[in-house]
Parts: sequence; structure tokens; C-alpha cells
Amino acid sequence: MLSRIFLGLAASAALLAAQNVQNQALTGEAARSAEIAKTNPFNTEADVQQGNALFQVQCTYCHGARGEGGRGADLTAGVYKMGGADPDLFKTVRSGIPGTEMPASRLTDDEIWKMVGFVKRLGSRGLSEKAPGDAAAGKALYAKNGCAGCHRIGDEGVDLGPDLSDVGRRRGLAFLEESLVKPEAFVSNTFRAVQLVMKSGPAVGGIRLNEDDLSVQLRDTNGNLRSVMKDGVKELRRDKPSLMPSYERLSKTDLTNLVAYLNSLKGAQ
Amino acid sequence: MKKWSVRLAGATFAMAAAWTLSGQGLPVTSERLLKAADEQGNWLMYSRTYNSWRFSGLNQINANNVKNLHVKWLFQGRHIEKFETTPLVANGVMYLTRPENAIYALDAATGRQLWAYEYRNPARTFNCCGKVNRGLAILGNTLFMNTLDMHVVAVDARSGHELWKTEMYDYTAAGGYAAPGAPLIVKDKLIVGMAGGEKGVSGFLDAYDPKTGKRLWRFHTIPQPGEPNFGTWDGDSWKTGGVTTWNNGSYDPETNTLFWGTSNPWPDYNDDFRKGDNLYSCSVLALDPDTGKLKWHFQFTPHDVHDWDSTQIPILLDTQFQGMNTKALAWANRNGFYYLIDRTTGKFLMAKAFVKQTWAKGFDDNGRPEVIPGNEPTPEGNDHTWPGIDGGANWMSHSYSPLTKWLYVFAREEHRVFSKNTVPHPTTETPDRPVAAGTLPNAGAYDPGLGGARTQQVGGPEESWGKVIAVDPGTGNVKWEHKVLTPPWGGVMATGGNLVFGGTLEGMIFALNATTGERLWTFSANGPVFASPISYTANGKQMVSIPAGDVIVTFGLD
Repeated sequence: MLSRIFLGLAASAALLAAQNVQNQALTGEAARSAEIAKTNPFNTEADVQQGNALFQVQCTYCHGARGEGGRGADLTAGVYKMGGADPDLFKTVRSGIPGTEMPASRLTDDEIWKMVGFVKRLGSRGLSEKAPGDAAAGKALYAKNGCAGCHRIGDEGVDLGPDLSDVGRRRGLAFLEESLVKPEAFVSNTFRAVQLVMKSGPAVGGIRLNEDDLSVQLRDTNGNLRSVMKDGVKELRRDKPSLMPSYERLSKTDLTNLVAYLNSLKGAQ
Repeated sequence: MKKWSVRLAGATFAMAAAWTLSGQGLPVTSERLLKAADEQGNWLMYSRTYNSWRFSGLNQINANNVKNLHVKWLFQGRHIEKFETTPLVANGVMYLTRPENAIYALDAATGRQLWAYEYRNPARTFNCCGKVNRGLAILGNTLFMNTLDMHVVAVDARSGHELWKTEMYDYTAAGGYAAPGAPLIVKDKLIVGMAGGEKGVSGFLDAYDPKTGKRLWRFHTIPQPGEPNFGTWDGDSWKTGGVTTWNNGSYDPETNTLFWGTSNPWPDYNDDFRKGDNLYSCSVLALDPDTGKLKWHFQFTPHDVHDWDSTQIPILLDTQFQGMNTKALAWANRNGFYYLIDRTTGKFLMAKAFVKQTWAKGFDDNGRPEVIPGNEPTPEGNDHTWPGIDGGANWMSHSYSPLTKWLYVFAREEHRVFSKNTVPHPTTETPDRPVAAGTLPNAGAYDPGLGGARTQQVGGPEESWGKVIAVDPGTGNVKWEHKVLTPPWGGVMATGGNLVFGGTLEGMIFALNATTGERLWTFSANGPVFASPISYTANGKQMVSIPAGDVIVTFGLD
């Protein structure tokens, strides 16, 4: 018995020794996989706030101040090309994404974990909050106010405004309410409205899709794709960045219910 | 028998033609470089001539016919990074660098590849702003390129064969060094700069023997103990103060002076540990190219906290200043001011804002700015300081036309947020910050990241824009302005056809009337222009080349 235990210990020691040798030889991806925690060890509220500060420094040029994307991916969707588990996000931030403009980070491990915590919060803002209103009543308000004339939920509606299919996961309650009451408070670059006063013919308004010095491309309020040469434009106005009307006129109860309905939209996941 | 003779003669002729193409124009001697302005069809150094005018005297393309300009050929880079290169052209052969340090030789008439050389960088390099390269230098039959892992390589211009490779510095030291700029040949020396000003490095400018790669001198851009001007840094902050030399320089043969601009001090936006003027950051250095000895310096932005590098290309011109013919250095600086400096003495002559600025109310007689308080980066973010982080000008080339006697600057009006974050000081806090094993070649090295900047842009095109301006160099007065949608990352080139070429961030390539600023021609390349144009001749025809995205676009008339 003793000898069997001894043999077992010896075998374990040999195995450990071999693993040590192997670990010493590990480089790059293998080494990272071997050492990255399975769950985020820095996930307190203070950590997430520090992650936000780091995010503002390191990430917003491409991902936007609120993670809404632009040059980089939209991080509010909670869907990640390289995987959404904590170690996946850690590796993505640490090593970048080859073949893209996403660079590797040289922050420390704890700083990256804090950013991961914040990024996950961006992609699941609505999951951590419970809406107090009546979602069913809010759904009726959504229909009554014709929201589907601009927004899409699943297969219903159109694409003039942001797709709301999973907005309840991506956005917190305060953001949703602000978007209804003060739509111009935050308009992502992909939904900025422009109004074109033409030198001749009717004015054109819509969502700016692209622009350079010669032309501007937009989706007009009827959903048509338009390209307008600037030499035919008398005035290009950007002073109303959102096409969305304010729903400030709704009662507090209706507003709460509408927010509850939007919060219930968690997408296909 | 006769048939065979004809065939043989044809084969010989074909071989001769091919050989002629790749061998013609070499060697490029240092005497030819001194007289590069006379070689109208060639582009033999980064800014074409030592005075860095980026002016092509070619006038086949002019205001009357530029409307007929069309694409002659494209070179597809097929890479993720954008081109930032300025190609060289020597008698019908174009030499250009691709990002990540490949060199291509092309037939300048067709864009067809003659040979390629690929330098192999390590997987991880420490360039701040993309794995880019800005171009080559040429001397004799040899091309020279800096690399992202801090080497200088020499390659045979006839074959692409590597001749030598010299390590400038350990690229993994401090937060990481890199060398993305183009080198410059001055007489029998290869002058090479380096980058890493966002990473706590210690800057220098080097000279190498073009034949062997042996280093001949090194000028430390931060004075070392015992050197003049040591002591303008708080404590040990000079050891990691940045002050790099990441762009190209100019040379005045008359006074045998090399001019080179320097970068920001580090940490960029947090000056808690680096009180003082932080010499020679944000300065122009006037050096003896034979020895690397400093003749004089002028610091544009003492104690910079806005990342306003002075790595713009120095432009050497003679102009009237207050009625006197003046040998001047003209400099549209990232800090938003246009400067005129006596290039023989370094004496400050005048400065005038060329973009919106909020940080200086004037200058003393020595050119020291009178700083307006309240423009410093703050923890909560300062969004009221102009110009923005990327400045009123950046690395992109300006151009001077001896025809109009005006300087052309593609200027940036950009509104950004300056945020001061806590940056641990590398000499007072442990450098062994925990980093997962195997993730970095220099795991454990201190990494300052961006040094405490919040980098988002404020607003959209209504808050930031670009403009090509024509500046009277003697007064700083703007003669005309041509506004574009967004702040640019491309340079401009004036030509003998009285045109100014350039390209926008949206990929609109344009030609302006150099006298009026009127836009005469455009082409929608739809790839961001992060480079400056060149012009040359192929088979006697004027061509204009400019990179847009990962494509080199070359235009001609017929």
C-alpha cells in the first residue's frame, strides 16, 4: 500500500514536473488560456466604475462614449464576435482581434478585468434592472403611438430608427426614458438626421448614412435610400439631430409602462 | 537564319528594355540629392527636396486641363492598415513601402510590380498608431527603411535583396519603441528617427553609415546629465520623457544644418511628475549632420500637456519679413500657431494662429508663449481647449510654391476632450505591474497606455472640420481658405501647374487652384487619405500619385 502511494506520488510529481516544463514552454495563446480566470475577479461596482474610466481613455475613439460603436463594434448589443464569456472578453482586450483595427492592450490584468466588467455592463444594461411599469400596457402604447413607423421589433416595423428588438437588454431604464422624453440627448452617429434645402425642388430630410465633401447619402423619412450631390444643396442643416419626436406629453404612468415594454424586449437570445 | 536574327535581336531588345527600366536612374548620388529640384520627373526623397517644399515643378497638368485628369493605374496594397507612405520615383521606377515594412518596386507608368521585399517584424510591435510606415530614402543603388521593431534595413534598389540590417534600439524597452518614419540621406549619412512618445521612452536621432549600417552618431533629444539644458525635467522624469523624432527632417546645405522636429514629453497629458520646460520636447533641433552636435533649438510649446508634437516637416524658405529678406524656417505647428524662425540663428521672428486656439494670448520676444490658464487637461475632461489633441497640423506634409510664394497647409479645426487620468510614474511605482505570462514579449514592462487622454471627438462635422489654407510665409496672413468636411490626415503638394493636390479623410482626392483655392477637380477614391501626394513623369508624361486607404492611386492626362 505504501509503495502504491509512493508510486502514485512519484507519478504525480513527475506529471507536475512535466507540466511545469510544459508551462515554461507555453507561449502566446496557450499561456493566456492557462492563466486567465474563468470568471472576472474584478467585478465590484467600484471596479466597473474604474473600468468605465479606462474605457473612456482607451476605447471610446472607436466604440463611442456609450459603447454605441462607430469605427468599432457596437458594444451595447451584448453580442461579441470573439465570444462573450469573461475569459473571451479578457483575451479580446488583451490580444486584440487579428485582421481588424482592434489592437492589443498593454494594460495590466486587473485593469483589463475592470474594463471587461464595464463592457459586459454595457451589453447587459437592461438585465440588471427591473422595470416597475406594466409592459402589456406599454405595448399597446407603442402600437397606438405608431412607433413601428420608424422602429423595428423582430419582423415588425421599419428601419428608420434604431432596431428595438433587444433594446431591453442593451439599455437601462434611465436611458430608455431619456430617449423618449429627450430624443436628441443622445443620437448615435449612425442615426444622425440631416435636412437638405435644395436649390430647386422640395427639401429632403432623413438619416445621414454617409457623407463627404461632394455628396450626402441618406435614408429619407419614407425609407428610401437617397444620394444628393451637394452642389444642388442650398443649405445642409444638422440642428435637429434626431427625427424622433419627444413623448414628454405622455403621462408618468404611460411613460413608465412604455419603458417597461421596451425593457421587456430582450431579443432572440 | 534571318528569322532567327530578328528573333534574337527582338529578345535582346526586350531584355535591354526591361533592364533599362529597373536600372535606369541609378545610382542616386548625394550630389543628385542636393540638386533634386532639377530632376523634374523624379521624386528622390520624402519631401522631394531638402528644403521640404513638397513642390513639383511639373506643369503639364494645370488649371486648364486638370478637369481631364483620370486614373492611370492602381496599386492594391491588400492590407488592413492604411498607406501612409510617400513613394520615391527614380527614372520610371516607383519605390514604396507598405505598412508592416514591405518594399515594392513598380513600373511607374503602369503600376506593375518589379520586385518585392518583405521585412518580418515580430508579431507584437509597439507602434502607437497603427503598423504604418511612411517611406524610404535612397542613395547609390540602395533603399533604406526604418522598421516597427526598431531596425534600419538597406535593400538593393535593383533587386530587393537585403544588404544589411542594424538594430537601433531594443524595441521592447520601456513601454515600447518603434520607427515608422522615413529616413533621410544627408551627404554620406543616413538620418533616422524613432517613435514611442506615448510609451515612456527616451528619444534620439541617429546617423548611420549607408554602406555598412554602422551607427555614426546619436543625438539624445532629452539632455543627459552634464549636457547643456539638463535639468528642465522634474526629478528623474527625463529618463522616460519621450521626445521622439518620428517624422522626417530637412537640410540646409548652405549652412550645413539638419533640421528635425521633436515630439511631446511623456506622460502626454499628466505633468504631475515632470515640471519644467521638458527640453527638447515640442522643439525644432538644428544639428550639424556631420557630428550630430546641436547648433541651436527652438521650443514651440514649453512644458506641453496637450500632445502637441512638433514633428511637422520643417520648411526652409527665403521670405520678406518686416521688409528684410530672411532665411527662414516656416512652421505651421500642431499647437495651432504658424511660426517664422531665422533658420541661421534659431531666432524667433513671429507667430500667428492659423486655426482656432484658446491657450496662448501672445509671445514674448523669444517666442515663449504667454499661456492662458485653464486650458490644462482635467480629470473630468476639458472640452473647451482648441486646437484638439491631434492639433491644428500634425505629421502630414505642408507645401510651398515658389510660384505663388505661399505656404499651403491642410489644417485641422478639431474639437476634442483633454482628460487627465492618473498615470503611475514609472520611476516611483513598481515597473513590474502584473501581466499574464506570455502575453507580451516584455511582460512586466511598464505600460503607460495613452498617458491619460480621453480620446473621443466632440460632436460631428459641425464641430470639427478641415481646411486647406494658403499662408503668406512672411506675415502668417491667410490668403485663402478651402474648407472640407472633416479634419484631414493627408498632406498637400503644390505644382508648377499652379495646383494644390491633396485628399480628405473620406477619400475625396482634389486639385485646387493655388492662387484662388477654387476646387477644380475631384476623384472619389473612397478610402481615407493618410498620406501626401507626389508628382513625377513616366515616359515623359506627368503623373500624380496619392495613397487612399490601402490603394495607391495614380492619375494622368492621357
